Amino acid sequence: MSIILSLCLIPLLSIFLIQILPRYTWGTLKVTVLLIWLEFIVQVLTLYPLLVNKIAPIPVIDGFMVDKIAILFILLTTLIMAACFSHSYWFFSHEFKKNNSISLSQLRIFNVISIMFYLSMIFVYCLDNLGYLWIDIELTTILSAGLVYFNRTKHALEATWKYFVICSVGIAFALLGTTLIYASSQLHGCHGSLNVSYLINQTQHLDLNLFKFGFIFCLLGYGTKAGIFPLHSWLPDAHSEAPAPASAMLSACLLNCALFAILRLNSIACLIIANMASLIIWIGCITILAASLFLLRQYGIKRLWAYSSIENVGLMLVSIGLNQPWLFFLLAFNHSLVKSALFLLSGNIMQITNSKELKDISGLIEFSPVMAILLVLSSLAITGTPPFGNFMAEIILLSQLLNLNFIYPFILIAIALTISFIAVLTHVGKITVGKPKINYIQLNNFNYSLIPVLLVFLSLIAGFFFTNKLFIGMN
Amino acid sequence: MNIIDFFSLTGSCFAILMLGSVSIRLNLWLYAIQTFFMALSTLSESFKFSNSELAIISLVIIIIKAFFIPIFLNFVIEKIKVKSDSGLIFPVPIGMHLGILFLGFSNLFTLEILKSLPEIHHSGNITAGISLLFTGMLFMLLRKIAVSQIIGFLTLENGIFLLGVSITHSMPLIIDLGVMLDILVAIMICGLFIFKISSSFEHIDVTQLNELTES
Repeated sequence: MSIILSLCLIPLLSIFLIQILPRYTWGTLKVTVLLIWLEFIVQVLTLYPLLVNKIAPIPVIDGFMVDKIAILFILLTTLIMAACFSHSYWFFSHEFKKNNSISLSQLRIFNVISIMFYLSMIFVYCLDNLGYLWIDIELTTILSAGLVYFNRTKHALEATWKYFVICSVGIAFALLGTTLIYASSQLHGCHGSLNVSYLINQTQHLDLNLFKFGFIFCLLGYGTKAGIFPLHSWLPDAHSEAPAPASAMLSACLLNCALFAILRLNSIACLIIANMASLIIWIGCITILAASLFLLRQYGIKRLWAYSSIENVGLMLVSIGLNQPWLFFLLAFNHSLVKSALFLLSGNIMQITNSKELKDISGLIEFSPVMAILLVLSSLAITGTPPFGNFMAEIILLSQLLNLNFIYPFILIAIALTISFIAVLTHVGKITVGKPKINYIQLNNFNYSLIPVLLVFLSLIAGFFFTNKLFIGMN
Repeated sequence: MNIIDFFSLTGSCFAILMLGSVSIRLNLWLYAIQTFFMALSTLSESFKFSNSELAIISLVIIIIKAFFIPIFLNFVIEKIKVKSDSGLIFPVPIGMHLGILFLGFSNLFTLEILKSLPEIHHSGNITAGISLLFTGMLFMLLRKIAVSQIIGFLTLENGIFLLGVSITHSMPLIIDLGVMLDILVAIMICGLFIFKISSSFEHIDVTQLNELTES
């Protein structure tokens, strides 16, 4: 119970604060940012002992459970959200100066919705009951639609509508899957349950056919939300039309939530269905390959990173298929850090150049060297270049594939990663070198690069130290 | 045929009629009637098994999904002044015939499912659930007005609920209520977005929302 309180007390307090204050000012946003960082410290203090000491998962209330992997994801989500919030202060203050169409009340709504969105994402990791999990994931869709629609433009509206409808229908199929799984747990003489911790111990009593159908529907449903290949069409639109901090939240936190739901389901499915691993691995492979081909021909800077997110979702899906939660966390951790840095940087670049088209952006190294170097470093990190954490995670993934005799997926993933490396670096090269256009606006470099520097630096540390330790220690 | 199967199959027939009509208001009416019959089928099942949770959830369905949501959507279409939604791809009557065809397919599916699940007797209920699922999907695919997409989504959700009631001994009450709440909020937000779409695009044809492409 104290865990749940420690998770939601401070965010609730900050929502209350924003709502109760008669006027929303920049000071309120500053206070919320501080509160979210405080929440991160509180979470580290309360959850770290659980991470180190206890081995068994900790049941909180019926239907709620916290285990080690969930704790790691909660900390990751809070860290990323705190970073995005801090950056959003500088981002929005510039937007505010630039055009008068954004009002403080709009920002207030954004702030309240993003904290609620944060709470709903945190709870995804604490839930044991598949029904509650469905409700919570649908809630994240509903809340994040408000974030995507921040700019109130036609394009934002179109992206929001697509996002909302496609994800809701996808998730409706996950509800069908959840229902079928519940039915499969009721048939052979035991009372039905949706608790993952209960189902894992009762696998011999589950009805195989119904469970198989249920799992496939859930995979499709939550896969739509994660952006697996044929169902990804909402993802680039939503990520490119949302304001930069919201894109970073969507890409770095929300995708992890959907994949975590698949991980929970897979922890049951891998015990009873024989070929499930190869199915998920193949879906992941096709997603990686398709995303890397899409990366070759891109026109928008944020669409580029959105497709790169799809590629990373594929990688994480492969790690889920291999049934290695720690590897999944490693991939998610590095992807979240670097991708949020990239989205925040792209937001700044769009503010400098006043355009989101790649063809309008060039010569960043002359105009703003700090940002250009950061962009190159983080795009090297996201494509899996050695000193960064992503490289370690990807190399572990590939070696695991070889160990377990998945030769064709190994070859496909290796080719796709090469293609995406070339594609991303070509685009980034065009952004950095060349001649800057005249109408660029100078930004205060220090404030705007603070958070991306922090995130990229963390990824670098992860590459150097934690990766090996974490993998050897936890496995 | 018992009363439970009768109610649910009547509901699915009304859903198929929905595929054959171009008037959005008539579609809303048919959706409400279909939901009402689905709730009646659930209610009679709750009496049969004396299951109070099912009775509560069916009453909630009647209040929220059969009355409140149609009234809200009716308010939306009166505000944005759209009356009809001619179909996409092919003419509307063919859509209805496809719906009937899928009802037949659902019966075949049901027979296949029942082979592996000998403990379940209500074949009509399962047929109606699968048929509602197909009808909802067809409706979403064949229509182009945003309100129709919502109606299709709701029909699909009805199908999932009916399937859930017939093959499980009812989902836990709290989960059903949570799902209902989520759907309600989602529909309200969809309504808001429809207002926005109609005011900034001056139409609500979702097939014309295609400005965001790879170029």
